[in-house]
Amino acid sequence: MTEKKTSGMTENADYSEWAFRETNPADVFEKPEALDDLLVLDAGRGSFAGLYASSLLAELGAEVIRVEPPEGDPARRMSPYGMMIRGTGLGYIVEGRNKFHITLDLDRDEGRRLFAGLARKADVVIETFKPGHMDSIGLGYRQLSAVNPGIVCCSIHTCGQFGREAERNRNQPDYDIVDQARGLVMSVTGESELDADVPETFKRPLKQGNWMGWYAGGAWAVFGILLALLHRRRAGVGQLVDCSPPEGLGAMANYAIPFYHLTGRLMPRAGNYDYAVFPYTYVKCKDGYAFISGSADPNWTALCEIIERPDLISRFPSIRERLDPPNQPVIRREIEAFTTRHTTDELLEMVTAYRNRPDRKGVVVTGRLETPRDVLRGEHWAARNTFVKTDDPHYGEVLVQNSTFKSMSRTPGRIKWVCRPVGADNAFIYERHLGLSEKELEGLRAGGVI
Amino acid sequence: MDDQESYRDYLKRIYDPGRLFDKPEPLEGIRVLEVGYVHLGPAACEFLAQFGAEVIKFEGRKGDLMRFVTPYAFYYKNMSPGLEIENRNKYWVGMHLGEPGARAIFLDLVKKSDVVVDNLTPGRTAEWGISYRELREINPRIIQLHVSGYGSWGPWAKRNSYDAAAQSMGGLSAITGFEERGPIKSGSWIADWITALMCAIAVTAALNYRERTGEGQFIDYLQVENVIRWLDWTWLYTWKTGENRVRSGNRDLAVCPSDLFRCADGWVAIAAFSKPEFRGLCKAMERLPLYDRFASPRDRLKDENARELLGAISAWAASRTVDEVEDLGRFHGFAASRVLEAGDVYHGEHFRERSTVQEHIDPLYGPMVQHCCPPALSGTPGRIKWSSRPLGFDNRHVLSGILGMSEEAVKNLEHEGVIFQWNPDIPSHCPPPDWDGESGLRFP
Repeated sequence: MTEKKTSGMTENADYSEWAFRETNPADVFEKPEALDDLLVLDAGRGSFAGLYASSLLAELGAEVIRVEPPEGDPARRMSPYGMMIRGTGLGYIVEGRNKFHITLDLDRDEGRRLFAGLARKADVVIETFKPGHMDSIGLGYRQLSAVNPGIVCCSIHTCGQFGREAERNRNQPDYDIVDQARGLVMSVTGESELDADVPETFKRPLKQGNWMGWYAGGAWAVFGILLALLHRRRAGVGQLVDCSPPEGLGAMANYAIPFYHLTGRLMPRAGNYDYAVFPYTYVKCKDGYAFISGSADPNWTALCEIIERPDLISRFPSIRERLDPPNQPVIRREIEAFTTRHTTDELLEMVTAYRNRPDRKGVVVTGRLETPRDVLRGEHWAARNTFVKTDDPHYGEVLVQNSTFKSMSRTPGRIKWVCRPVGADNAFIYERHLGLSEKELEGLRAGGVI
Repeated sequence: MDDQESYRDYLKRIYDPGRLFDKPEPLEGIRVLEVGYVHLGPAACEFLAQFGAEVIKFEGRKGDLMRFVTPYAFYYKNMSPGLEIENRNKYWVGMHLGEPGARAIFLDLVKKSDVVVDNLTPGRTAEWGISYRELREINPRIIQLHVSGYGSWGPWAKRNSYDAAAQSMGGLSAITGFEERGPIKSGSWIADWITALMCAIAVTAALNYRERTGEGQFIDYLQVENVIRWLDWTWLYTWKTGENRVRSGNRDLAVCPSDLFRCADGWVAIAAFSKPEFRGLCKAMERLPLYDRFASPRDRLKDENARELLGAISAWAASRTVDEVEDLGRFHGFAASRVLEAGDVYHGEHFRERSTVQEHIDPLYGPMVQHCCPPALSGTPGRIKWSSRPLGFDNRHVLSGILGMSEEAVKNLEHEGVIFQWNPDIPSHCPPPDWDGESGLRFP
């Protein structure tokens, strides 16, 4: 396909050039950081919700200290097929960014004393233990805030810290699969229950392929932490941020709750159909799959014109017909009769050409369904520094996704280093924040505290 | 602090739902102008609105697309649930910012505002003379966030995006679905929601920075890149091995066991990674030899071991009920949970106790029950105050109440067509059919 039609700047070249100057990736390290006045302790354990939360704060400039048990965070061992790079799993290497790594045994009084010392100076504490554990060892919000009233403590766990399910399930660990299972989105994700072509065995709830429960939990936690910090900058007091990852997904489950409230009905799993907006689906093409939309009347007309099927306009004239579940497989098959004769690139070219026609009736959106390998080759991502490739002194050649805050004009997010081994920053951090000498550290090491 | 008070009672006290509206809001005094449409930009602004920001939303004469996106074409008293879910707690102005006459009013508001969010085609605000370049001249403290599929510059900046396009372009769809089947898109507009959340985070970070320095800034946010960011180990894995990450249904390829199993009466998610958790699961299954065989969490992750172990759990779970497995999880300390549906959350006392599910009596629509934004903040909790609104519902409140315009000036703007209200011929623009002409209106 011709590159000219889909590449280059936006239609407003002057705007794009200005925006490029404001957010040029080459300038990131010349600029200040939004949160470089903050000290964050991340005592999370075996949870990528906690790790993602502290990653976001670290990308924005906070000094984040990861507090691991002497044997290392179990999250370091969560890796596809058990694949490790120098003893650390792939997921952890991605979320180790910009963090200092210390060890500390919270099961021992000496370890707890060290933690309390660090927490006296900290602005934020993140933890993912079972509900009430930190409180029971004297390191919960009520004890830490008695000494440091400005502290913001964030606890992340499946059912949160309070409420009857939190009490009933307080002995259960937090994993992504249970966060997704309790997060509503999974109940409506999966192959269509209303499509006769789908074998029964696949008519079951389906999780999002990534750690969506954990990442949603981590992101909501950070939103809460930043709101609490903003309040503290004005009012001077900290607070407790209780984050339940399933509630994070539940807030993103479209109209599940209001629709149930208003009609008493559940939304079924729709697979690649959608009973609120259609066509809005994945279709087979000559060389893979593509997304295609054309739902509102003008956009439906545009889609029918693009696929050269004006007869479909009158066959499915309004959203009422197009949102009717039995019609959706029919409509999809009609669209595929066209798209399977073209490649995804050809489809994009046709859609783009249509958009530039003066007599266009509406807007159609398409996009190739890209595999991870396709994405890694994307020229746009190369231009925008979406990935960072680095030769880490410990982990060697690695590639990780960059901070998505990197296009903040004044305080861009950034990656300074990728990850650190267990306890690698003990000497630096304990000396810097608690003034411990090498001799004292030696004693702690010998005693197995760090 | 009472040393005798239990953790449970302490939390009950500091999170008392009865005191929700007595507590301050963290974004009180922050005014946000939403130049948003469809879902992503509006959702980002709603997250801010739930924590106290005053969000003013501008809408064109045809009405937001979401007024026409609703499940099974179902409307409630003319209101579209598809519009409602990303538009609570806002003020609604009918004014198209590309029309002559609108710009001056908008810029007057910018002088009194803190944040401007747009999710228009990149460059559109520049054509209208309201891009950050113009805004910072009149208000250097302004924070302006633009979000679109590919951002404001770069080879693909011209391409349009929607939620499902972003799911597919960012690689999420390719890794979601069953091993033997094709890719599946999420049952929710997940790429929009997660990007909206990250936009709200970026704005809140910028507000924190402004609190320290007085400086505003421009933020270019890329939806598809955000999907990429959330795909955990996918990129490092593919880059290191040259292999695509495969679809694996509900099985977690990096935590074993972690999967969804069919019980006699429904589905249950089970996970047990650490030694004590996995031992607890094997005990519950009365299969301790399995523990001895697969004691190492890392060995369990090897494909053949994982398949064998998950098969054994699957066979065990099939004859148990969901309740039984959940109880065993509680007793033995492994994770086990049913798949919650909307009715479970709606009726669940747990979510009411936490103010996660909130009821408000809307002046237009009556009792509404909503899922609120987490997390639970003990000092400055989020809250839902009112639902979405008819087109141009708050014109007077904003123009007279905030800008101090006279009734005559507002009438002139109406007459000139600079501001407008619902089209009575389009039901989803309109107030409920039985509206009394007053309820819900805010006067200056």
